[in-house]
Amino acid sequence: MKKSFSKTKRSMHPWPMLPGGIHRSVCHFCDTLHESAPLSEGMAARCQRCGAVLYQNRSASLVRVTAFSIAALLLMVVVNAFPFLTMDAASIRTTLNLASAARALIEQGSPVLGIALALFTILSPIAMAGGLIYVCGPLMFGRIAPGAMVVAKWLNKTEPWNMVEVFLLGVIVSLLKLAKVAEVEFGMGFWAFGLLMLCMAAAMAGIDRDELWDRLEVAKS
Amino acid sequence: MNRSLPRAAALLLAGCHTCGKVSPVALGRCPRCGSPLHLRKPHSIQRTIALMLAAAALYVPANLLPIMTVVELGEVTENTIIGGMLSFWRSGAYPIALVIFTASILIPLLKIIALSWLCLAATGKLHPSPKMLGKIYWFTELMGRWSMIDIFVVGILVALVQLGNYMTITPGPGALAFAGVVVLTMFAAMSFDPRLLWDRLEIYGIDSSTFKKADL
Repeated sequence: MKKSFSKTKRSMHPWPMLPGGIHRSVCHFCDTLHESAPLSEGMAARCQRCGAVLYQNRSASLVRVTAFSIAALLLMVVVNAFPFLTMDAASIRTTLNLASAARALIEQGSPVLGIALALFTILSPIAMAGGLIYVCGPLMFGRIAPGAMVVAKWLNKTEPWNMVEVFLLGVIVSLLKLAKVAEVEFGMGFWAFGLLMLCMAAAMAGIDRDELWDRLEVAKS
Repeated sequence: MNRSLPRAAALLLAGCHTCGKVSPVALGRCPRCGSPLHLRKPHSIQRTIALMLAAAALYVPANLLPIMTVVELGEVTENTIIGGMLSFWRSGAYPIALVIFTASILIPLLKIIALSWLCLAATGKLHPSPKMLGKIYWFTELMGRWSMIDIFVVGILVALVQLGNYMTITPGPGALAFAGVVVLTMFAAMSFDPRLLWDRLEIYGIDSSTFKKADL
């Protein structure tokens, strides 16, 4: 009984069919033109010439993206409120978080690097998560938020510059570098950042670009 | 290769770079999201080569200049990327040494080599084998960001190690050059258009039935 209920709930908002003629999609790698057929949830369409993924229908995409993005934003608060690492050396205790790393670079004579670090690890994850909530949240109810198309365009451009997972590996490398000189401990911020990385990855993988734009187009009309 | 598969450019159709919608290129802008439509990314090869050469030029100071300066009890040590990796290797931390070697030395170098290869293949100076080169391109785009790890390590160390007279760490000019390499190679990979490889294959006459060079 419960199972059939959740099934109906999910299929209430399947990937909508766009109005008008045959739908086509083009492979980004080899430019082969395909007539696109609707997919059932969990399936992917691949290019007949080169095998690259054309589009895929993720299950419960909008709900999933919104949920993971909200989780990521909440974790971002924790990440910025608690230190990543705490170091005790020469009777001085120093702590690290994202903002302090960026600020240190700016103060120590590398403002460009400091700003780049802030962009790649603070601003772009917040922009990605916030943008996804703004676009996908209202879409769950078949509505389109004002300016959602512009936001969706910017999401595309921001994606490669979100370097959360790279920073995480950087923290681990630094910890090993410092282990010789001082007592270093992981803080709450580090674990929250690890979770944030997983949530961001799940949110971004949660929806196919074509599906998002088809939904936006249908909701707009 | 399957001859019956048409290519969008031959029909003057363009898939939008941003939203994926297929529209006639004559519209100029995507009717759905408003992005400019192109059959191929504009000036793809020139842009890729220019960005890649700039990255290759910066790769030299990035490795020669110190990425950070450590002052320990008045004693100044300049750290380069290679030096940092070697000190991990000597102290027996092989996995970390390998991670740094891969992310900071190998990946930028491989990216520069891969992009030159892709550009040569796309202009017909090397034989294009688009299936393999397509994978190389995909991999190049995917791996690029991991090179930022050394910049982040510098940022973290600079933030943590400010212990007055005992030990301080400041960023060096090499770090800026290295960040430049990473960002430039990322832009270079983004401006390359893998469809050019398949175009080239058709110019060789393997699948010319659906393609006219004039359509570019």
